Amino acid sequence: MTSTVARNRKKLSKRIAAVVVTVLLWAFAAFWFAPIFWMLSTSLKSTAVAVIQSPPEWIPKNPTLENYKIIFAPSGGLSLIRATLNSVIVAVGSTLATLALSIPAAYALSRLRFRGRMLIFWIYVAVLAFPGVLFLVPHFFIIQGMGLTNSYLALILPGLGGTFGVFLLRQYMLDIPGELEDAAWMDGCSKFRFLISIVIPYVKPAMLVLGLMTFLGSWNSFLWPLLILSKSDKFTLPIALIRFSAGWGDPYRGIGPMMAGAFFSVAPSLIIFIVFHRYLMKGISLGSLGKE
Amino acid sequence: MRQSQSKSCKRFRREVVSWLFLLPHLVFFVLFVAVPLVFGMVISFFNWSLLNDNVFVGASNYIRTWNDSRFWPVVQNTVIFAIVSVPLTIIVAILFAHILNKKRFGQLWLLIAFVSPAFFGSVGILSSWKWIFASFPSGLANYYLNKAGFINAAVSWFGSTGVAWGVIILVTIWWIVGFSILLYMGALQRIPPEQYESAKLDGAGPWKRFLYITLPWIRSVLFFDVVRQVILAFGLFDQAYILSAGGPAGTTRTMVYYLYLVGFERQDFGRAASISWYIFAIVLIFAIIQLVLVTKSIRSTEG
Repeated sequence: MTSTVARNRKKLSKRIAAVVVTVLLWAFAAFWFAPIFWMLSTSLKSTAVAVIQSPPEWIPKNPTLENYKIIFAPSGGLSLIRATLNSVIVAVGSTLATLALSIPAAYALSRLRFRGRMLIFWIYVAVLAFPGVLFLVPHFFIIQGMGLTNSYLALILPGLGGTFGVFLLRQYMLDIPGELEDAAWMDGCSKFRFLISIVIPYVKPAMLVLGLMTFLGSWNSFLWPLLILSKSDKFTLPIALIRFSAGWGDPYRGIGPMMAGAFFSVAPSLIIFIVFHRYLMKGISLGSLGKE
Repeated sequence: MRQSQSKSCKRFRREVVSWLFLLPHLVFFVLFVAVPLVFGMVISFFNWSLLNDNVFVGASNYIRTWNDSRFWPVVQNTVIFAIVSVPLTIIVAILFAHILNKKRFGQLWLLIAFVSPAFFGSVGILSSWKWIFASFPSGLANYYLNKAGFINAAVSWFGSTGVAWGVIILVTIWWIVGFSILLYMGALQRIPPEQYESAKLDGAGPWKRFLYITLPWIRSVLFFDVVRQVILAFGLFDQAYILSAGGPAGTTRTMVYYLYLVGFERQDFGRAASISWYIFAIVLIFAIIQLVLVTKSIRSTEG
């Protein structure tokens, strides 16, 4: 009798401990995410209020959309609408081109036998360890030599030689069962048909992950566009935002519009993460595994 | 005779077809990876400018960079940043991965809070952090730290070197740790639970279980993450550029920042290229040291 009471008490205290841990974790998560919330909160206040306000007001009492109106009204040749459009074009272009190039290459390196296959594969893996900064100066002159400065292609092309996508897709393609391939050969399926009708459907989740990561990488890219773009009509969103904030001189005079722009640039990434986090988690953990 | 000829002909065709699949990507690889590596090396031996009056100068760019009094402090800054931020990020990531791998109420919201910032762009999140660390008393950090009694006057966060670096490191970990968390969550899920159960029966505490089971099991992911993070740390630019603008007095400049100033502000591209190869060399040395350390610590627990 007493032992069941003791056991129940132990169970109860364990459950209470679990609840306490979860609540603490929740509090810590809220703290961790506060900078994003603060960004959104500030973007909904007029700058005059936001800067002098003390104590800070986490939920604005008089929320206003005036900051969003300010950033989308073109000023001084800078248009955030134009910059958003540029960012979308470049990100979508990069994503589609990366997929179109990486899929057949990964297929060749995982499912086809030919001389030099392993050599190419190891070269592709080795360059993953080269820091991107090595490419800044030569890319700058190659793009300039092609006469592509201040163009969309200047932002898309340099990334297309990257080998991460090939590596990631190859990891998935290695998992395709050999019997499937044998059956396809029996049916007289050509390599191209096999790629289209069997390989691609099989690696769709990996294509999604690669597509998302390429899109986000391009959407967030900062240093390269900063170097290669000098004309404001080709500015991507991050560059336009930086120029925007520089235009105010005192960084805090325009804090309302700046936070509106910041939130506007972060929101698509947040939505993508919420919708696709399962795929991202799986894809990223698989991309880190060397497969013998 | 004839048959073998057609056989080798067939094999030849098969090889050509295989190469055709690889070719489109390979063209871009050559054009934007292989050629730039060689070209970057070439530029580093020239006095290279925008005006196309390039002069071969031998190793003088490397020598000038070596003797540049502004170069080594920048190297030192970046190395210290890497030494502090890489292990911290990894420790925080493994800790969070452990916690997040247990199913909890509101799992998705926890993931959003801890992981999603890694997928956000630098300009957006860094301008938010800059606003939090505003120098006046009503800035968020100043207000709360003052209220909690840690400081008694408003701190100019990017006005002194040590504090500015502290903020940069803090913000960097907050920003990038999510990606590593995902890596370790995947790695931890692959450990068979029986391993822990039998260790528990043997009376191994949580620290021992971590050392003898977790660490060896996540080794390959740990290696991958170490290399990735070292490259990331030595590529540090956005945080210094946006948060502190390299200040005060250039003391939060990083190697990439310095390359940016020499190459793209002063337009001395030959020297900028030489700096990029110094960065490569240091990354290589650093990655090897880290890998040796990690391997040793795992070996010592295994042996």
